[in-house]
Amino acid sequence: MNTDRTLKAAPAGKLDVQAVRAQFPILSETVHGRPFVFLDSGASAQKPAVVIDCMADAMRHQYANIHRGLYWMSERTSEAYEAVRGQVAAFLNAPSHEEIIFTRNSTEAINLVAHSLGSLMKPGQAVLISEMEHHANLIPWQMLRDRSGVELRVAPITDEGDLDMEAYGRLLEDGKVALVAMTHMSNVLGTVTPAREIADRAHEAGALVLFDGSQAAVHRRTDVQALGADFYTFTGHKLYGPTGIGVLWGRRALLDDMPPFLGGGDMISSVTFEKSTWANVPHKFEAGTPAIVETIGLGAAIRWVESIGFDAIEAHEQALTAYALEKLADVPGLKVVGAPKQRGGVISFTMADVHPHDIATLLDRNGIAVRAGQHCAEPLMRRLGLHATTRASFGVYTDTHDIDVLAETLARIRDFFV
Amino acid sequence: MNGAAQDLYDRQIVERARNPLYAGELPVPDLQGEGRNPLCGDRTRLDITLEGHHISQIRHRTRGCALCIAAADMLAERLGGCGLEEARAVGARFSAMLVAPDDPAETTVQKAAKRIENPPEGIPSLGGMEPLMAVRFHKARIRCVELPWVALKEALAHVRV
Repeated sequence: MNTDRTLKAAPAGKLDVQAVRAQFPILSETVHGRPFVFLDSGASAQKPAVVIDCMADAMRHQYANIHRGLYWMSERTSEAYEAVRGQVAAFLNAPSHEEIIFTRNSTEAINLVAHSLGSLMKPGQAVLISEMEHHANLIPWQMLRDRSGVELRVAPITDEGDLDMEAYGRLLEDGKVALVAMTHMSNVLGTVTPAREIADRAHEAGALVLFDGSQAAVHRRTDVQALGADFYTFTGHKLYGPTGIGVLWGRRALLDDMPPFLGGGDMISSVTFEKSTWANVPHKFEAGTPAIVETIGLGAAIRWVESIGFDAIEAHEQALTAYALEKLADVPGLKVVGAPKQRGGVISFTMADVHPHDIATLLDRNGIAVRAGQHCAEPLMRRLGLHATTRASFGVYTDTHDIDVLAETLARIRDFFV
Repeated sequence: MNGAAQDLYDRQIVERARNPLYAGELPVPDLQGEGRNPLCGDRTRLDITLEGHHISQIRHRTRGCALCIAAADMLAERLGGCGLEEARAVGARFSAMLVAPDDPAETTVQKAAKRIENPPEGIPSLGGMEPLMAVRFHKARIRCVELPWVALKEALAHVRV
């Protein structure tokens, strides 16, 4: 097996992937005595040194609770925290930093909308999702349905793994859909959904639209205005930032009308035992002490991603995904799941009758980290007629050597079992 | 494959998963049980017939990984003809062995297996299930070999011995 990374040519694109890799300390670790090959960025990405250092520096040199202290250290920390709100607004091309709400993760952001906007919905209205949603964009709507009588509709996908746009249109026809909540990129199939068209059709039918951008925001530039979105969510830890920090963006007029999600400190305007009034957005939706250090870490991650630039990131990941599809096609018995029109850096596959758990364990023993199972998308697995897949997902630091090692090891695993 | 992986994927396990001896269903089972793993979608269903307080036959329908299929098949082999009380005791011993704390002096799976082969008196032997004990060193996979035992527990839940 080729173990010399420097001999491999970088894929087409402007990105110097070896220079990028050098910024991720964890990539020089070994696992079971082998070089660590990390192909599970879709679950959570690794962190560059600047993010790690920034968070440690915050705790060493500039930390206190925010929005309440009347002293220098608290004010500086508040400034650092609020500056990230502005950064995120620019990152999403949101009209205002006041439309950026910090949450724990994308799941919490979707739950916030399901709870808060959902409380304004009435029986007879519907929420429309797709067959390829992560459980994070399914369960909150099921819970809303069960407590409020709102209908939950599911738009089918094609066998290739694209949203069936005709069926989608039909589900909107009766005008009952109040909200379309859809993935912007599937965590299983890699499908990048046609967000603008989804949004336009939703709006024509009088529905609002939320995009779950957990996967998409990592791989390409996100412009919530160009997408025509009303709500957009993403999570920090997939964007080379820390865990514990996610983002909900929503249009100001909608957020103003929505009741709070969680109650507590920081989200109020005035409080008596009889009645309380709420702070303005975004603070109305941020109860309690937030993830201060993690938010500052997210700021560092966004700065880092923007220093590389989405043109380079997207070109690199597209070239790499094409390379991987080609290499994996050569592995006997391997079948890639889905063939969407537009695919991000996520490839799910099956290999002969070898179970994904067995594949993942044997890859792990060779230092290779992949995800195996249902990927928090059980209904999608059923739709595909599968009960589990193995998934390789790529990040900005993934290189062709990682793919070569994966393909070679898979071929050996197949020989072992078949 | 390197050494540790080969320990887990012992030839006996891989062979058994490929050609299970007790796969299928029974026409008129006295007991049935199912184990499911929501993380991966794996599932084992057990059909059991009884003669008095003894298990006469077990068949399993397993949709799962090599470890899960082999574990289900080895369960069926080990428990065929067993008294219900003994079946429960074997299950308890199997589970206990899977979560037994690591002995610092014991560095190889082979050493662990040796101990398992010679249980103290009065404790039922695991019979042909020893190769599965390598899963002790792969914590993420313990659930795979436990799934058939979850199904057995369900099947026996309403049977008084």
